[in-house]
Amino acid sequence: MTPGVKLALGAGVVVGVTSYMAYVGASASWQYYLTADECVARAEQLADRRVRVSGGVAVGSLQVAADRSQASFALQGATARLRVVCSGPLPDNLAEKTEVVVEGRLEPSGVLRGDKLLTRCASKYEPRPPDARGGP
Amino acid sequence: MRTLGEACLLAAFVSSGFAAFACLAGAGLPDRRVRRAGTWAARISVLALTMVAAVLAWALAGRDFSFAYVAQYSSTLLPWHYALSALWVGQAGSLLLWAWFMGLLALLFHWQARPPRSPGSPRPDSSSPDLASPDLASPESASWPDAATCSVFGVLMAYVCFLTAVMVFAADPMAASLSAVREGSGLSPLLQHPAMLIHPPVVFLGYALWTVPFALALVALSSGRVDGDWIRQARPWALSAWTVLGVGILLGADWAYEELGWGGYWGWDPVENGSLLPWLTGTALIHGLLAWQHGQALKKTTLGLAIATFALCNFATFLTRSGVFSSLHAFSQSPIGWLFLALMIGLAVGGVVGVLRRRELLAPGRPLRSVLSREALVLVATLALLLLALTVLAGTVSTALSALISGRAVMVGPAFYNSVLVPVGLTLLWTTAMAPLLRWGRGPSREQKHWLVGSAGVGGAVAGGAAWLGVRQPVGLAVAGLAAFAVVAFAGAVLVDAARREPVWTARGLLAALRQGRRQYAGFVIHLGLMCLAVGVAGSSLGKREQGFRLTAGQTVSWEGRRIRLARVAQRELADRLVAEAVLEISRGGRLEATLVPAQHYHKRQQEWTTEVAIHATWSGDFYAILHSGTAEGELFLTLVDNPLMRWLWLGGAIMVLGTGLRLWPGARPAARWAGERQAEPGRRRARGGPVGKTKLERRTRHARLLNSASKPFSWRPRAAQVNHDTSITTAAGTRVDEALRFADDSPADRVGDRGRRDGGPAGR
Repeated sequence: MTPGVKLALGAGVVVGVTSYMAYVGASASWQYYLTADECVARAEQLADRRVRVSGGVAVGSLQVAADRSQASFALQGATARLRVVCSGPLPDNLAEKTEVVVEGRLEPSGVLRGDKLLTRCASKYEPRPPDARGGP
Repeated sequence: MRTLGEACLLAAFVSSGFAAFACLAGAGLPDRRVRRAGTWAARISVLALTMVAAVLAWALAGRDFSFAYVAQYSSTLLPWHYALSALWVGQAGSLLLWAWFMGLLALLFHWQARPPRSPGSPRPDSSSPDLASPDLASPESASWPDAATCSVFGVLMAYVCFLTAVMVFAADPMAASLSAVREGSGLSPLLQHPAMLIHPPVVFLGYALWTVPFALALVALSSGRVDGDWIRQARPWALSAWTVLGVGILLGADWAYEELGWGGYWGWDPVENGSLLPWLTGTALIHGLLAWQHGQALKKTTLGLAIATFALCNFATFLTRSGVFSSLHAFSQSPIGWLFLALMIGLAVGGVVGVLRRRELLAPGRPLRSVLSREALVLVATLALLLLALTVLAGTVSTALSALISGRAVMVGPAFYNSVLVPVGLTLLWTTAMAPLLRWGRGPSREQKHWLVGSAGVGGAVAGGAAWLGVRQPVGLAVAGLAAFAVVAFAGAVLVDAARREPVWTARGLLAALRQGRRQYAGFVIHLGLMCLAVGVAGSSLGKREQGFRLTAGQTVSWEGRRIRLARVAQRELADRLVAEAVLEISRGGRLEATLVPAQHYHKRQQEWTTEVAIHATWSGDFYAILHSGTAEGELFLTLVDNPLMRWLWLGGAIMVLGTGLRLWPGARPAARWAGERQAEPGRRRARGGPVGKTKLERRTRHARLLNSASKPFSWRPRAAQVNHDTSITTAAGTRVDEALRFADDSPADRVGDRGRRDGGPAGR
């Protein structure tokens, strides 16, 4: 067996194992990425599935536990609202009207039980408009 | 001031466009005036960009809110250093910084590619007929800048023109505020962190540096001159780019670790992935350049990687600026991201076509001789890096692609990346550990085999020791074993080399081995840094523990062998924020180990809370405290995190930077700084450099020959530069240039072997 063939076999093993691991990882972690409207519209199909949903935190809906270990709010879409209960580390800038992405499992009751909450936080490129009237 | 800035921006756009055109079109013309006009236009362009950056910095420092950019990213309450950092925080400002870096690097490339100026060289005759020939080029010569340098410079200036055009037409940093603004928006509190002061410019500098190897590869492909010349020029730029981008990524990780308040430093976020992709392909590129230089292998892959790495830098910009990808980081919907995507697609298509067009010139030089050779290892490592890059790319674009193809957006989570990282990462660590004890072109020597076995034994023993200490994860044991393997293999390589120099191991032989093989050992130091980083990643990923607590002042809890006492709670008010902090006393075995002060800051202007974590870092791990909130009754909610071996991660990064510094530190003058010098006739150097036999090179060579003829004639190891000089000077009669270059960075052992073969002597031991 020439060195080239030996190397090709070794490379084949690396590619094979990596492909298998990629398949295993993708199977375990894939999820639908939806807007709040899409999630509400397809709630029955998505029940008990892992989803990732984007939307805005509805005004007047945000409640954060005293130890900041849990938050509940309504995720506002263009036409529909999705109820969310989220556990785990909460971003500092979680606030009403903030655009967020919630990852978790959609319960049959239509509540999204989130375990990961992302906000568009370190807004480098789209800051809030400057104050034309004066200081804080 | 704003008008001055606008005028300078426009001037930069026009002059960079002219510079690119003049250099690219003039490269093929015999008349040097077009090229030189292009060079001057480039200087004007960079000067104009410097002026634009200065105007914006002045406006930020003076909080001149008549600039829309200043009003968006600064405020009167912002400390001056963060106000200045706003220069690269916004879209337009970061583009300006990138373009400015790009222009400066283009000039630096032009400067460093100049041929050496000899004191005795005559002024050229401008009427010389040999205007297009690079052979006799000098700074004063009629043919300088030569065609290849001019083309590369033209490509670099074309990219400056592209970036400037984006600013002029889509993201103007000099735009005026639409209304009178008394107070700006200020900088997001999360970005007010020391790492964020330098993270963006370092990443942009990394992207800019990757443009140089790309331009060299592009010119090599388009001209068909795919010999060793572009490799020699590309390597230091590629290594610098790799290190700078790596440092930028680590700074971003440090920011995430300290500022986001969750004890993690990497989340496989699209933006993080965007910067990781060019780093991965760039790593493969650096090794591909080595394989090409030493083994005449991986030629097509290496050229493709140079183009792909630059294309991925543009893809990273598309990720952050298109608004297509959801990320932890903020994006805006902006058309400029699509410009970068179009450029990336164009580069990818053009690169494939170019490589296919030159495929005959890029055939492998020689077959693989051993699977235990460095070429084989580089092939495996390149494959692993490309697999990881493809995985990261597939995961990153999975959402957009699935939505495009099936109409339903699907995305993969961190488990996808982590699953692939295990086999690929272990393969990379294995190749990294083995590398010092292998040779180019053939299998290991007897001594090297002994050290390989010994290194494997030590690695196994360390893995066993780790298991005995309680490490149960196979990946953790493998990383520990491979890290120990790498350290012993590195020591073995140095000692084998030293033993070849002196019959008995002596400090002199050891120092000689380290000094003369500095550049190669610097590469192995970088490998050790990677090992160190891997230990940190494995330790902190596999052994992380965290626990939430509710504490009142004076209360003590025990956790992970430590006693944690909440000594007091304090509140204070600063100009721009309110601060609530908890003072925690951490003790172990009855001895006070550290006092940590995690805090919550309320930023008045932004009306936002930020978590300021407190970290007690030791070599065994980070003790990380997060203050979440408190009640009016004085009860605090905290999370404590034990992150094992985190400091090794940062140390690994520092070692990699050190290794790069050692590698790039100027040593003996490279044999062939430019093509003309290599191809010049043997007598030319003497005519310009002084009397025959009195050059530094000739003195060193003669001295070495005298020394070795007295002791060990067969074991003379010339310095790399000497070999190059000898070879390059004597190869004017037709020896291939890349043959001469191949020895530039060979290990001393390889050089002995190759020299032995060339001389008909022993082919190394």
